[in-house]
Amino acid sequence: MKKRLLVAALVAALAATAAAFGGNSPDRTRSAAVPAGADQALLTCGRTRSIGFAAPITGAAASLGQQMQRWGQFFVTRYNRAHRTKLRLVVGDTQLPDTAQAIQVAERFASNSQILAVVGPAGSQEVQVSTAPLRGGGLGNISGTATRTSLTTDGTRKGYFFRTVPNDDQQGPRVASWIRTRLHATRIVVVDAQNSYSTGLSDTVEKILKNAGLNVRRESVSEANTTDFSSLVARIPGDTQVVYTPWQLAPKAQLFGQQLRAAGKNARMFGSDGLFDPDNFKIPGSLISFFPIDLKSKVIAKYKKGPGKGKSDLFGLPTYVATQIVGRAIDKSCRNRSATRAEVRRNINTTVIPKAQSLLGFAVKFAQRLKLPIGPGDMQRPADFGIYQIQANGKYVRVG
Amino acid sequence: MDLPLAFDGTLFVQLLVNGLTLGSLYALIALGYSMVYGILKLLNFAHGDVYMVGAFIGYGTLSALGGPLSPNIGLLPLIVLMFLAAMLGAGLLGVVIERFAYRPLREAPRIAPLISALGVAFFLENSVLLLFGADFRSYNSFVLGSPHPERFELGPLFKPAFKVADVNVQRIQVAVLLITLALMVTLTFVVARTRIGKAMRATAYDREGAAMMGIDVDRVIASTFFMGSVLAGAAGVMAGLLFSQVFHLMGFLAGLKGFTAAVVGGIGSIPGAMLGGLLVGLTEAFATGYVGGRWSDLIVFGILIFVLLVRPSGLLGAKAIQKV
Repeated sequence: MKKRLLVAALVAALAATAAAFGGNSPDRTRSAAVPAGADQALLTCGRTRSIGFAAPITGAAASLGQQMQRWGQFFVTRYNRAHRTKLRLVVGDTQLPDTAQAIQVAERFASNSQILAVVGPAGSQEVQVSTAPLRGGGLGNISGTATRTSLTTDGTRKGYFFRTVPNDDQQGPRVASWIRTRLHATRIVVVDAQNSYSTGLSDTVEKILKNAGLNVRRESVSEANTTDFSSLVARIPGDTQVVYTPWQLAPKAQLFGQQLRAAGKNARMFGSDGLFDPDNFKIPGSLISFFPIDLKSKVIAKYKKGPGKGKSDLFGLPTYVATQIVGRAIDKSCRNRSATRAEVRRNINTTVIPKAQSLLGFAVKFAQRLKLPIGPGDMQRPADFGIYQIQANGKYVRVG
Repeated sequence: MDLPLAFDGTLFVQLLVNGLTLGSLYALIALGYSMVYGILKLLNFAHGDVYMVGAFIGYGTLSALGGPLSPNIGLLPLIVLMFLAAMLGAGLLGVVIERFAYRPLREAPRIAPLISALGVAFFLENSVLLLFGADFRSYNSFVLGSPHPERFELGPLFKPAFKVADVNVQRIQVAVLLITLALMVTLTFVVARTRIGKAMRATAYDREGAAMMGIDVDRVIASTFFMGSVLAGAAGVMAGLLFSQVFHLMGFLAGLKGFTAAVVGGIGSIPGAMLGGLLVGLTEAFATGYVGGRWSDLIVFGILIFVLLVRPSGLLGAKAIQKV
């Protein structure tokens, strides 16, 4: 009896683990059950216009999803204050990394005739699996976080998918070049976080540095599921000069950095845009690649005072820009009080946000053609990354 | 997979220390699973979340006393208060869970309390999510008590206590090992030598018989939940001090590892839970250190399957005797 119970418990426990941490099958797609002709169906715009908002509000990545939601809602609140017509976010919880939820959310949005376009989803793997249902419903979507290069360069989402973050093949070379030519590092450890965002960036940086003849060691750890990095830290050679951590959970990177220092290792940490979080990641001397934003921007200050409750949550900032673009596209499409989803998509594609109005630090305009590493739906140059350094007092200062 | 080519003594000692420290936490969690299973034959899957709530109570106490960067009282009394608050809070939570989620189902088919336990786990996780949000909360333990926390000068907890083979063993690691040892000795004493301990053993052996002998079984079961949860609360604060971060899902994987430890050691056996916890912690540390981070969970849970196949009752578990 005891044996049976134990086996049953084991099965239950493993099933629970799989439910909580698994389901991460990036290429799983299926066709959506959406009304025929949803793409061209004429929708009455009304006074309140709805935007689908797909983000991980609960689950392991909830801290990121809630930042994104706060920034998206912040734009909507500001817009609604300034306009007679109103915007409304219809939130879908994708529970990253459970991609099955992302599919369900996309299907719900596609069948909801009120929704004109979608902001999100967050993860590259979620964008992949949401493509079929969103496309089936004629919905365009903009992600403020999905960076996998192939999402725009493989040609399958042209005119449907857009993003307000530069892709991995823009960020990776910038970081690798900085490590090689500015830090003159020769012994580097790359630690990926076992998700598509992180492995993509890690692969790019590792490849470039290895091609340059540098000593690169690759490590891997699940940032979401690991509470103690001390054994990983023990594996990092004492003479390592740079540890590249393209992660998304700043508190986990902070712990990793603290354990690195506590173990007496002085390697400099180099984080990606996912770690640009002055409230949570503040290991002095560390470098981070991020957009050339104006940290003294009034909008960021207002966010910090308002929904941020003292935090700037800068990881979610591109989601603000994504919502801003959708808002503008809807306004344009609804001029005659009715619009189709196809019209909104076309208007997203042609929306331009001048530098003065863009929180990202550069004008936002989408590329129309493939010119590697940029594909249609990516932001055109000068969209790129700056390099920031964390000072002894925890402040972020742009150094390149 | 990147295997080291030669034996590195420093790495070995470092991993041993890391494994023992981590294993101590798992052992404390495993004890709660084991005690409840021993007395009720119930797998209390909410136990990992009691540990999470304990960590949050410790964080709340720390914040109420001025926060990690400028605490109003000395470091030692601060930590003692954090432990006491978390242990008491978690203990009471355990009693409440038992009273409202498990006691009404005591005579129900065995699957019912198991589902109820999963329900309580999700209830606790989502309650903390609603109350505190999804953000990580930091104990800032690395700079706790530091004269210059703003410059990231390590605080006294992470200063070396002594050195073994070029490895700095930090004070917090020594403290975690000693506190765990003290709690285990106390628990063993309570179970082996006190009146309530005797009642617990009698109830575990034969609940109906114990009731007929005049033992207040409800009280004994509530006490068992209290003790198990007290240990989980202590483990929660230790995790906060060791790893600095607490968040609403931290109990899930820790609970699963604690459960694994209990099963490996022999669920229902107190020494087994201790041994299992240390083994799981050591396995995780050595797997990460020698094989790589991505393999550690695979190896830990692989061992669970192996132990169940070879020795279904666990390393120190007694073979179940079927009454006829």
